[in-house]
Amino acid sequence: MKEKNGNVLIIGAGVAGMEASLLLANSDKKVYLVERTSYTGGNVIKFEKVFSNMECATCMLAPKQQELLANENIELLTLAEVIDVKGSAGDFTVKVRKKARYVDLQNCIGCSACFEPCPVSVKNEFEEGLSERKAIYVPCPGALPNVPAIDTENCVRFKGKDCQLCKEACMFEAIDFDQKDEELKLKVGAIIVATGFSTFDSKKTPHLGYGKLADVYTAFEFERMFASNGPTEGEIKLRNGETPKSAVIIHCVGREEKGYCSGVCCMYSLKFTHYLKEKLPEIKIAEFYSDLCIPGKSYQKFYEETKTMGPEIIRFNEIEVVNANGQLTVNYKPDTLNPKPQTLNTDMVILAPAIEPDGNANKLAEVIGIPQDEYGFFAEGHPEIDSVATQKEGIFIAGCVQGPKDIQDSVAQSEAAVGKILSSR
Amino acid sequence: MPMEEKIGVYVCECGPNIADKVDIDKVVETISSLPSVNVVERHKLLCSEDGKKFLKESIQKNELTRIVVAACSPKQHEVTFMRVCESAGINPYFFQLTNIREQCAWIIDDKEEATERTIRYIRAAIRRVLYHKALEKKEIEANPDVLVIGGGIAGISASLLLASGDRKVYLIEKTKVVGGKVREFAKLFPRMEPCSDIISQKIKEVENNKNIEVHTDSEVSEVLGFLGNFVAKVNTSENKAIEQPSEQAIKEKGLENKELELKVGAVVVATGFSMLDLQQLPQYGYGKYDNVYTALEFEKMNAEGKILLKNGKPPKQIAIIHCVGREKVGYCSRVCCMYSLKFANYIKSKLPSVKVSHLYTDLTVPGKTYQKFYEQTKEKDVEFIRAQDIEITESNGQLTINHKGTPNLKPLNTDMVILSSAITPSSDAHKLAEMLNISQGDNGFFVEEHPKLAPVSTSMEGIFITGCAQGPKNISDSIVQAQAVAGKILSSIIPGKKLELEVKTSEISEALCIGCQTCLEVCSYGAIYFDEIKRVCIVNEVLCRGCGNCVGSCPSGAASSKHFTTTQLHQEVVEALR
Ligand SMILES: Cc1cc2nc3c(=O)[nH]c(=O)nc-3n(C[C@H](O)[C@H](O)[C@H](O)COP(=O)(O)OP(=O)(O)OC[C@H]3O[C@@H](n4cnc5c(N)ncnc54)[C@H](O)[C@@H]3O)c2cc1C
Ligand SMILES: Cc1cc2nc3c(=O)[nH]c(=O)nc-3n(C[C@H](O)[C@H](O)[C@H](O)COP(=O)(O)OP(=O)(O)OC[C@H]3O[C@@H](n4cnc5c(N)ncnc54)[C@H](O)[C@@H]3O)c2cc1C
Ligand code: SF4
Ligand code: SF4
Ligand code: SF4
Ligand code: SF4
Ligand code: SF4
Repeated sequence: MKEKNGNVLIIGAGVAGMEASLLLANSDKKVYLVERTSYTGGNVIKFEKVFSNMECATCMLAPKQQELLANENIELLTLAEVIDVKGSAGDFTVKVRKKARYVDLQNCIGCSACFEPCPVSVKNEFEEGLSERKAIYVPCPGALPNVPAIDTENCVRFKGKDCQLCKEACMFEAIDFDQKDEELKLKVGAIIVATGFSTFDSKKTPHLGYGKLADVYTAFEFERMFASNGPTEGEIKLRNGETPKSAVIIHCVGREEKGYCSGVCCMYSLKFTHYLKEKLPEIKIAEFYSDLCIPGKSYQKFYEETKTMGPEIIRFNEIEVVNANGQLTVNYKPDTLNPKPQTLNTDMVILAPAIEPDGNANKLAEVIGIPQDEYGFFAEGHPEIDSVATQKEGIFIAGCVQGPKDIQDSVAQSEAAVGKILSSR
Repeated sequence: MPMEEKIGVYVCECGPNIADKVDIDKVVETISSLPSVNVVERHKLLCSEDGKKFLKESIQKNELTRIVVAACSPKQHEVTFMRVCESAGINPYFFQLTNIREQCAWIIDDKEEATERTIRYIRAAIRRVLYHKALEKKEIEANPDVLVIGGGIAGISASLLLASGDRKVYLIEKTKVVGGKVREFAKLFPRMEPCSDIISQKIKEVENNKNIEVHTDSEVSEVLGFLGNFVAKVNTSENKAIEQPSEQAIKEKGLENKELELKVGAVVVATGFSMLDLQQLPQYGYGKYDNVYTALEFEKMNAEGKILLKNGKPPKQIAIIHCVGREKVGYCSRVCCMYSLKFANYIKSKLPSVKVSHLYTDLTVPGKTYQKFYEQTKEKDVEFIRAQDIEITESNGQLTINHKGTPNLKPLNTDMVILSSAITPSSDAHKLAEMLNISQGDNGFFVEEHPKLAPVSTSMEGIFITGCAQGPKNISDSIVQAQAVAGKILSSIIPGKKLELEVKTSEISEALCIGCQTCLEVCSYGAIYFDEIKRVCIVNEVLCRGCGNCVGSCPSGAASSKHFTTTQLHQEVVEALR
């Protein structure tokens, strides 16, 4: 029999993928970590703080991200995607397409001198379009690796112009226009898919006004607004620049459409009350919920702490957000014995949309050859007793790619996938 | 003052980052004039491949014995330069990095001031490095075997992944049988899959695994030692371990109250949960009225085949009450909504015409498949009432539930009540916490090392928690945690491989220690023990993580941190302020 290949491919460098990589690398496995974006950390690095201990998310992740970059057993491939998987457990051949960064990871020191001269300005997708970035950019200050990438879709040089302003500004000869996209062939024995999630498109619930009414925000938009390294450097302000005096948070956005409860949005919505009260102690807050889903040993305590901050917590049956003569207004029917329609005026509305599979999940599932469930999440080997396995031996799933969950459960799944891999030596 | 050393100082320009803000020529000139310094060099980018090569060659050429680098934050490149020192053949702790980028160049606008500050910092670093000691990496042997306490689904799943040719697992179960609570369940939510096949399959795998030694009717009475080297005592009164006894089990057959001594490298606590004692909540009438059952009692009744009232008649109406005791324990038990829905399905499949009512507060059905189970259950003509302030009375065998709720405030008459009560820490949790020196939260569950990033580790290295011992959860999550424990252990304790220890630990001077044991209290890692004979505290280097808590708390100055000694810090500060 052929010797089993001990290398492991991990797809996605969010909390789940990072934890799995570090554990495997510590056990002397060679790890290839393939990440689609130019940075590590996944969705969690968008958050200023995490429930329920309200720890700073970037501070929490930075040591892991640094360890990841320093560990010699881990080969981090950013701007990369898996395009083909062949073979079987113990002997997979994987093709990875790795886009050129055009900035040398060794030479660049992350000084950001190259951004200023770049003539291109586009909306920064990492910041949910709330701010602009250049064609050579890092998604936000503090991103790791702290090395910019050139976005060839917007860089004018790649549209035939003769620009090299960024290169001229770089004192370290880090910018290299000659880099080429590569196709790599990797040999691995096992694969962990940790490609995470997206959130439900709030435009699909038009009665909540998102996209039509200026001060209706999604959870991610609000996370970035609150982040000290975000577009407003953490200042909570309305589109017109004013400070809101009141805010409404609406839970369960898209729950009905998706047909499941995402299990974390009640918690992050409560976190938003903490955010708001921390910066604007006088602000009036109403949280509209349908069920309070705060499972486990420590989450109810967080809810109780939140309650002492004084938000109104209203259970609703029906809700809509409208513009009533220039005033943002919430019309709702509370879930009480005799529900009468009520209205509440507010300065801003924050929506808590459902967690759904990543937009590329279908494509990736097809490439890897593993099935998805009816919701588009990756299907488990057995939902009750083997939730990190897939139906294909040697291929594992961890984190939100398997279904919505919080950080703790995502990390547990990634450690579990490592357990499965190392025990089947 | 330490003996003559050959000191080299390297100033990094960090491109324009430092060079633009600090007059490096002046820095080099001033530092060169210090009597104790042998070499002073500048480099454009010391962390680059070129820079590292330059540094290494310079150290070797000049036969230096102490190195100071003035550059960026230690967070960024301390390790980089320590590695260069090592490769140049000098102990990496004879090195000091001083941060003149974040702490000078980037924050001081005035070039002269920034330059002056840089010189100060470098002088202080030179002073400090003279007092550095060579620290060596230490390794210890580690026993790969594992002790698993608790033979529920979590303990079983962990054992199965951990046991292998070169690793033995001792699975210690308090009761006569392994399997835990799950043994009682007929079916599992949400797919109503029969449970017995799943659990008996797992139990069989455990029995057939030569590397798992099961001890039923057994309890762990003592665990001493540390990561890689624990010694556990187990009291066992088993006389029949398993159906197909292994050699080991045969040997112990008939042995009453034997004490075993086991040597292991890691300990897994999988002791599961208990349920809230309903005597504490008299308003539900449990124990007082005949047909009020606990959830586990109902599981059992259903599994045994028939759902009947105490008088032997089938019920016409059954009420399932959620969140029993939730307020009292202060948390949501995460699975009781789901098993309550499972009960409705049990009832509807056995007694389709029985009226089933759920009295609930919030529906906790998190995750991708649970809400659908709720919707399917609701379609089976099951009533859902959001209810508060529940109180149960009885007259003539008829139970009445008074409550405040929506959409129906009327008291509800019913024949049978099932109380879905809170999951609480195992009754042994406190005992185990003391024995293992791990902590319990306010709620009594064992506390993980980090609530987000280290869910199955504890602050005691080598001791892990999993399943409902860590907090209420379903089977799937319990198994995931068990597999996670395996991931942590398999990736850290590898047969034949030594464990590398933290280098920058603390030590306690026997001569200075007055035996007050203050440090013992503040060490969160259980790294300090009291030597009863010498009457002094001693640091176990294997467990110490160098946090420095003991150093700060020691009233006699006996505790010191090896790379942050009082002398080192004092010399550094005095020089910086001079
Ligand atoms: C608004 C909001 C707030 C939240 N707040 C909290 C909180 O406070 N506390 C908490 O515990 N949880 C919180 N959560 C949940 C938390 O975000 C998730 O549990 C966590 O991000 C899951 O980690 P992951 O690694 O599975 O996925 P992700 O964080 O989504 O990471 C996935 C990674 O995979 C990469 N990737 C995706 N597709 C591919 C591909 N095809 N190829 C290569 N790479 C790919 C992505 O770029 C990303 O880096 C919150 C969620 C939301 C929506
Ligand atoms: C009524 C009810 C119905 C449920 N239904 C479902 C369901 O359908 N689906 C689902 O996913 N989950 C269900 N659950 C949850 C499920 O029971 C738990 O997830 C699971 O039992 C947790 O397993 P565990 O191994 O952590 O704990 P346990 O099952 O409690 O096992 C712990 C084991 O440790 C042993 N032990 C305890 N103390 C010691 C000691 N000091 N020394 C040695 N051994 C010790 C115990 O005897 C026991 O064997 C239900 C829970 C309840 C209460
Ligand atoms: S080449 Fe010009 S447009 Fe392109 S990234 Fe550099 S500065 Fe921007
Ligand atoms: S590419 Fe050059 S200018 Fe841009 S951040 Fe890196 S080192 Fe600085
Ligand atoms: S977690 Fe809360 S907000 Fe999210 S879907 Fe569930 S009930 Fe709604
Ligand atoms: S899971 Fe449901 S029944 Fe259990 S405490 Fe939470 S809300 Fe109450
Ligand atoms: S330094 Fe910290 S871990 Fe080490 S003995 Fe002191 S208190 Fe314990």
